[in-house]
Amino acid sequence: MSVYITSTGRFLPGPAISTEQVENVLGAVHGKPSLLRVQIQKANNIQTRHYAIDEQQQTTHSNTEMATNAAEQCLDRAFIARDKVGMLAVASTQGDLPAPGMASMVQAELGLAEIEILTTHGICSSSIMALKAAWNSLRLEEHEAALVVSSELASRLLKKQRYEAATNSTFAEKRIDFNTEFLRWMLSDGAGALLLQNKPAPKGISLRIDWVRGFSHAHAFPTCMSVGSAGRVEDQRTWQDYETYAEAEKAGALLLRQDVRLLDNILRMGVDGYLRLVEEGVSKPLEVNHFLCHYSSHHFRNKILDLLDAAGVGIPEERWWTNLYTRGNTGAASLFIMLDEFLRTDEVEIKNGEKVLCFVPESGRFNTTYMQLTVVK
Amino acid sequence: MSDGEIKIEGGEDAIPEHQETSGIDLNPNAQVCLQHLLRVWLGFERDLSTVPLLRRIDLGTYTIEDHLCLLRNLRQQVIEGSRWITRAASSFDRNHAEIRSIIISHAVDEHRDYELLEMDYVASGGKVEDIQGMERNIGTEALHGYLMYRSSRPNPIDLLGAMWIIEGLGEKMARSWAERIQQLTGLSEQSTNFMTYHGKNDADHMLRFYAMLDEVCVDQAATASIVKASKVVARLYRLQLEEV
Repeated sequence: MSVYITSTGRFLPGPAISTEQVENVLGAVHGKPSLLRVQIQKANNIQTRHYAIDEQQQTTHSNTEMATNAAEQCLDRAFIARDKVGMLAVASTQGDLPAPGMASMVQAELGLAEIEILTTHGICSSSIMALKAAWNSLRLEEHEAALVVSSELASRLLKKQRYEAATNSTFAEKRIDFNTEFLRWMLSDGAGALLLQNKPAPKGISLRIDWVRGFSHAHAFPTCMSVGSAGRVEDQRTWQDYETYAEAEKAGALLLRQDVRLLDNILRMGVDGYLRLVEEGVSKPLEVNHFLCHYSSHHFRNKILDLLDAAGVGIPEERWWTNLYTRGNTGAASLFIMLDEFLRTDEVEIKNGEKVLCFVPESGRFNTTYMQLTVVK
Repeated sequence: MSDGEIKIEGGEDAIPEHQETSGIDLNPNAQVCLQHLLRVWLGFERDLSTVPLLRRIDLGTYTIEDHLCLLRNLRQQVIEGSRWITRAASSFDRNHAEIRSIIISHAVDEHRDYELLEMDYVASGGKVEDIQGMERNIGTEALHGYLMYRSSRPNPIDLLGAMWIIEGLGEKMARSWAERIQQLTGLSEQSTNFMTYHGKNDADHMLRFYAMLDEVCVDQAATASIVKASKVVARLYRLQLEEV
């Protein structure tokens, strides 16, 4: 049973925010401009992004609303009645509520009656986890259509008030706490949606899902990107182990952190997984026409190219396509937002039978995920 | 990476084993071999993160005592390293004269590296007689035994796989261990000279490596033997670091 992506949608909240405006939206901590912002932004090279908070750091769209908006656009573009959708899979790093799962909330907003739901929890790769489950569900012929949505509202974690409240944290202690600020100038908000069906759309481009694979290396590496601990070696408590949530916040256990020193490993494991797929004959580099890569920084791109070229399996740069620089790094939502624009952009010509390789690495605890699609016109 | 000193742009911490390869044109067998070697390397590097002593470098709990232990356990392998590599050079016949030259010059570069280790040990507060009196650990015995056995065979081209792992590790020590160890322990550069010195030389060594790979890796059998040796050496090297 072949399964096809037959429709896509996206939602990016508010206006495009330029690099210089970012601190106006997220806020200057204690009124002082960040000493690291310019350097980090220069490294990731993102030019514009969107936030679901305003300049007073008030939430303008909930995560559920963004997911719903992307899903609505996807369904509006589809050649299928809504009641044919049998499954809704939703991915996010952090839904609006810790419980229940975000899929319940999105289902309610969409008004889809009596469907099967799935919420995947993780970071960037949770989108691929949701997509794979939906793909398999269709392959098992349990449904004829499934909606997969990924949505991220990172800015609520990144606004100045979070850092100001962390009065007893590594951030408060140090003049510069690179691990705590790194993601502040990297991540932004948005949602993407894909409709999966057991047949191609009657018009336009569909994408047949050839395979989806993932390799996680959590067994070997420490945690690299996380929320929930104070980021001190000697303190093993997680946010729920403190007497009160207020204590956890003061200790900095609710700040988003990246252990930047470990970050290089995600690139290495990404290359390892790709070479493994080449070795197994699953991925054939010469057949890849388009490469869509969710990488979290401009820096990664050059290093990936170098390493794969050396092995004789590099993908020429002209086959790479991304909208990271204009839509921002939206974590789990990035690939779906990328696919949505890829199918509509004039920058590349997409031909019948072409192969699209997608790569979503997650630095959280080093999960690398891959997907190949074939263009069906 | 120290706070406030951001090295995320530019390629200073990129991967030297491939950086110089952009202009290198490997034959198709050597390319496939390199694909496999990369996977062996990446798996080896990942699995090193699970070795208790080295995991403490990642976690930030590595101590001066750990560093002394690491240096003590590296020394024997470094001494034996100069022996197997010269043995390997003598095992190549005249049809492999070019490779023999490269390997001899490599051995000249490194055969007294253990002296650096001893100086690092003393600079870290250890007594020179302690490191000099250290015997081979269980992993070193296995690694040394395997390498001497393979290098005694005629034209041991499979040992390119061994060099791949050992050179890669030299580069990794310089890239991700030396500075980190100084930060965690408060030790000075004088305690990590062996690690940083290796990193400086290994870029050159890798260029020579690609030239050798292109020359000898001309069929599937050569590829298989080189990859096999890289896997054995990766596993035994990790054993050596586990058995400290």
